[in-house]
Amino acid sequence: MKLKTALLGAATAVALSGVTAQAERGADGHLNIIYWQAASILNPFLSGGTKDTEASSMVIEPLARYDEQGNMLPWLVDEIPTVANGGISEDLTTITWKLTPGIKWSDGSDFTAADVVFTGEYCMHPEGGCQQESKFAGVKNVEALDDLTVKITFDGPKPFPYAPFVGVESPIIQAAQFANCLGADAPNCTEANFGPHGTGPFRVTEFKANDVISYEANPHYRDPAKPAFATATFKGGGDAAAAARSVLETGEFDYAWNLQIDPTILTQMAGAGKGTVVSSFGTSVERLMVNLSNPDAALGDKRSTLEGGPHPFLTDPIVRTALSKAIDRALVSEVGYGAAGKPTCNVLPAPAIYASTANDACLGQDIAGANAMLEGAGWVKGADGIRAKDGVRLSILYQTSTNAVRQDTQALLKQWWSEIGVETELKNVDAGVFFGGDQSSPDTYQKLFADIEMYTNNFAGTDPEAYMGNWVCDEIPMPSNNWLGSNMPRYCDPAYDALAAKMGQTSALEERAELAKAMNDMLMQAGAMIPLVHRGDVSAHSNTLNGVKMNSWDSELWNVADWTRAD
Amino acid sequence: MLDATPRKLVEVRDLKMHFPIYAGILRKRVGEVKAVDGVSFDIFAGETLGLVGESGCGKSTCGRAILRLYDITDGSVKIDGAEIGDTPQGGLRKMRPTMQMVFQDPQASLNPRMTVEAIIGEPLMEHTDLSRDKRRDRVHELMDAVGLNRTFSNRYPHEFSGGQRQRIGIARALALNPKFIVCDEPIAALDVSIQAQVVNLLEDLQEKFDLTYLFISHDLSMVRHIADRVAVMYLGKVVELSPREALYAEPLHPYTKALLSAVPEPDPDMTTEDRVILQGDVPSPSNPPQGCNFCTRCPAVMDICHREDPEFREVQPGRFVACHHYNQTAGDTAASEDNKSIQQGETT
Amino acid sequence: MLNYTIRRLMFTIPVLLFISFIIFLLLDLAPNDPTGNLPMTIPPEVREKIRESLGLGQPIHVRYFKWCVQFFVNEPLNIIDQMFGTCTWGCEDRLRVQSWATRSPVVDLIVERMPQTLWVVGMSYVVGILIAIPIGVISAYRQYSWFDQAGTFVSMVGFSVPTFFTGVLMIVIFSVMIPTDSWFWFPSIYDTTHKVTDLASFGFQIRQMAMPVFVLALYNAAQISRFMRASMLDNLNQDYVRTARAKGMRERVVLLVHVLRNSLIPVVTVIALGVPQVFGGAIITEQVFKVNGLGQLLIIGIQGADIPLVQTLTFIFAVLIVLFNLIADILYGILDPRIRYD
Repeated sequence: MKLKTALLGAATAVALSGVTAQAERGADGHLNIIYWQAASILNPFLSGGTKDTEASSMVIEPLARYDEQGNMLPWLVDEIPTVANGGISEDLTTITWKLTPGIKWSDGSDFTAADVVFTGEYCMHPEGGCQQESKFAGVKNVEALDDLTVKITFDGPKPFPYAPFVGVESPIIQAAQFANCLGADAPNCTEANFGPHGTGPFRVTEFKANDVISYEANPHYRDPAKPAFATATFKGGGDAAAAARSVLETGEFDYAWNLQIDPTILTQMAGAGKGTVVSSFGTSVERLMVNLSNPDAALGDKRSTLEGGPHPFLTDPIVRTALSKAIDRALVSEVGYGAAGKPTCNVLPAPAIYASTANDACLGQDIAGANAMLEGAGWVKGADGIRAKDGVRLSILYQTSTNAVRQDTQALLKQWWSEIGVETELKNVDAGVFFGGDQSSPDTYQKLFADIEMYTNNFAGTDPEAYMGNWVCDEIPMPSNNWLGSNMPRYCDPAYDALAAKMGQTSALEERAELAKAMNDMLMQAGAMIPLVHRGDVSAHSNTLNGVKMNSWDSELWNVADWTRAD
Repeated sequence: MLDATPRKLVEVRDLKMHFPIYAGILRKRVGEVKAVDGVSFDIFAGETLGLVGESGCGKSTCGRAILRLYDITDGSVKIDGAEIGDTPQGGLRKMRPTMQMVFQDPQASLNPRMTVEAIIGEPLMEHTDLSRDKRRDRVHELMDAVGLNRTFSNRYPHEFSGGQRQRIGIARALALNPKFIVCDEPIAALDVSIQAQVVNLLEDLQEKFDLTYLFISHDLSMVRHIADRVAVMYLGKVVELSPREALYAEPLHPYTKALLSAVPEPDPDMTTEDRVILQGDVPSPSNPPQGCNFCTRCPAVMDICHREDPEFREVQPGRFVACHHYNQTAGDTAASEDNKSIQQGETT
Repeated sequence: MLNYTIRRLMFTIPVLLFISFIIFLLLDLAPNDPTGNLPMTIPPEVREKIRESLGLGQPIHVRYFKWCVQFFVNEPLNIIDQMFGTCTWGCEDRLRVQSWATRSPVVDLIVERMPQTLWVVGMSYVVGILIAIPIGVISAYRQYSWFDQAGTFVSMVGFSVPTFFTGVLMIVIFSVMIPTDSWFWFPSIYDTTHKVTDLASFGFQIRQMAMPVFVLALYNAAQISRFMRASMLDNLNQDYVRTARAKGMRERVVLLVHVLRNSLIPVVTVIALGVPQVFGGAIITEQVFKVNGLGQLLIIGIQGADIPLVQTLTFIFAVLIVLFNLIADILYGILDPRIRYD
């Protein structure tokens, strides 16, 4: 380790290695982190990219964050406000946070309620282009009651008021540093955006955009014994395979993020014995979106809209169920995702309290059953082996983004569906175009000019309310809303909308969980979406690094202050 | 030429220059081009030997081989008493000052990136230890000698006309006071009006610096003007070598006859009935005919010509020829018209 | 020559303006969205606001004009101010070309990337040339010898094997298979924060440059050595070479003074034309070794639809290409006395 640190150009004195004092700040020398997507900026309000928010999470912190189980932890406060402890008003319209006294910014000044108020003002400024604005949705006012008390008022009852200032995407920035960066001036504060002052365990010493960040331990960090590392490097560039290699094979780096590579290669690399692959499961689900509207090109402007009428055969629940039954999700998961996936039958698979078990029957593949269902419903095989009814053939255009794993999955599904007499045409679209949201392109995932499309979606944090709200009638993408909407299946059920509305008025966690499960089950039984794989995050850390707790609910670096070097 | 024989400056004996031919994927040697195939002659000090022949007969190769610009296949070349046929290129370098060459294409043979002064002065730098100034003086002297304005010494070759470039080439050849210069078609690339100037210059310089020339040309009238003796080459071999007057008045070899009869006659009254027109093409030098090289086209061909290669020998004092007609054993078998005329010519 | 240069430079102004407009149009027409790479948890209306704040709502000619003012007026003024510490009019609120992803001035990013690109890619170009010229000369002089055949083979390999293959191969051999404490171990990740302060750190700099430089140099050398060989062969058969031999010049002089100098003329221009590629960075090699130079900057810009960055970088490459074309022409004129520009 001594040699490696020296070779890697660590700024730290090599002599420190060998000292075993666990409870001493900076005792463990240098920490090397590689994120193959390089960080562009350290202000998460100006870049929603995961790489940027995670890089900034070593420096700036929210009032509360989530641990690796998805539980909320008080971070810069003493306790999480609830209705029970009086932190949330009875009418659910206000939440009051009490900051822990004595916290200092990395420049030595005091962390106060004014900073929190300023952060709210910064992100809610109409011209700022704040990328985390949705965290502040419904916030009417943020005020400082005193130096250590912040009161947030919502414009209506907010059953889950933990969006602002909670989690990696909503940290607190220093008022003094960003005072001149409000609104349209936000992008011009390069220096502040590249080196924000924070309350976290590290502070920035050098920022090279899209390349590398150098940190050193924050001398004003609240725990005098932490962090264990005196300095840290956050390197970017290359690709996931190279990042994995640098931790697992060459041992040049201590931590590598987001190793979405062929699972067999990852296993092989881990065999070198220098590092460990770790995974955790958040809310990402690879799913099929079933188009319930008609994507026929002949409909012109009404294509894939409600006005265009229902889909000729996908509106038949038997067909949707049969398609789902024909899939061997375990195989899809194993082939494409390895350690980073597990089969799922829910579009809301986590956190555990929200996960339904009502649909688990889909885990087993049942081609015979699917065939029988279709046969029974009058879909009979024609001369070409494709089932048809009343002149409607079961022929599917199945699109997704260009990505090796997705194309493998497409091929598997096409095979299984052919076994139940369904013809499948495969299409893949460059990810930039598919997810790009370009109004002029016919290939975006919102337009869904296809019968079925496949991609992954998830939600940040642990509360599924907004996520489950994706499938209410108002969210259907259509020309009148510039195709901006997240209800890709064009699913519209007043009963579902009613559940969604009810969740918006319920505060108690258990009740919310029941509602979420019910909504999930509705969607699953309607077959509007066919979930395939619950996708996890895969990272790797060196065997010489202790304390890593993979976290899908917050920054993977959420507890970097506790990381230490194993000897 | 009977006695007081002039000193032989150059003696060429059985010179052979064969170029290998490679073919196939592995570049196997499949044959050779016999560009020069057994040539022997002498050049006397102070004389000009003309070397004539059609394009591709090996004249230029012969000239270059004599100066050892090629590594020759076989034979011996003695220049000023020193055998250079088998000297390695390294050792040859020191002998270069005595023998020089004027090339055919004055444009291509001058390094385009060097000034006139550098071109002429470079051999001085290599072979003498003249100071910079002395060298420049010498360059200017040489430029004067060839009739070039010495103020042009810093110009590049492309800035000159063809005739001027050839003068540069000549000045360059003269720089080291050579004894022997091979002039390889020095006027072929020039305008007719310039040709005479350059030839006259060569003659003047010969007189002035006591030079010996091997003058290679396909222009018979120009050779007649400048040469003392003339050698005629056909397909890699010298077929006839005679003093100028004798050769032009009375060619011996059927090929020489054909060549001379092809020279345009300025006087329209002169009879042209005995003009000899050769049929067919020159055989490939990579595959010369058996027997006499000329047998495929000779108007006076005999059976023996297809079998035996005629010996190159002196048939009259100072006149050498390689033809079976002049061999004792040959005369009795052939009886064509042409043969008779040749026989008559010989006895006249 | 001076007149020629000035005239050519004058011509380049409209050409470059035209190029900048074309680049702008192309980037505008390309289907990309600066919010496309954001997590899907960011709702569409927020994305729309982000696009508004980036100025994407304005019509194209307004955006092009703004870019022109920022690039051609404000950036040069800023350079002047930084050099002389002055503050010409409006330096306070002067708008520079801002990258969308980093929200920092594009030119500063480029300046920050310059050292590693020049160190690694530039050095590989120099090394490539230094290897290529002797190989080309010897290959031509000893045409069809085993050396020539080996040179041809190596060039073919250098040409045809992509750098992402050779690069990863090198990493697997020298970073993975060789133990970390061995002298033959080389870092697979380039440390751009490394500063050369003494002999040891210089040694480390050499070590971390070794693999990317070798990989790129092989590729460059393959091309240039072929050029060199062909040019040498052209000249070796020229009459003036025979003249030089007839003069009795040493073979070394014949080869190095006469043949090489003439053969270098086309090669030098090819080398000059290749220099913009050095500034362009070697995108793939930079990715493989994480050098993070200009090439990687461009790629990240394209991936993130960071249009001002891509526009500016592409335009600077265009300027360099136009400029080095001119330099190549002028070099040709200087090196070859037969070429005259009036």
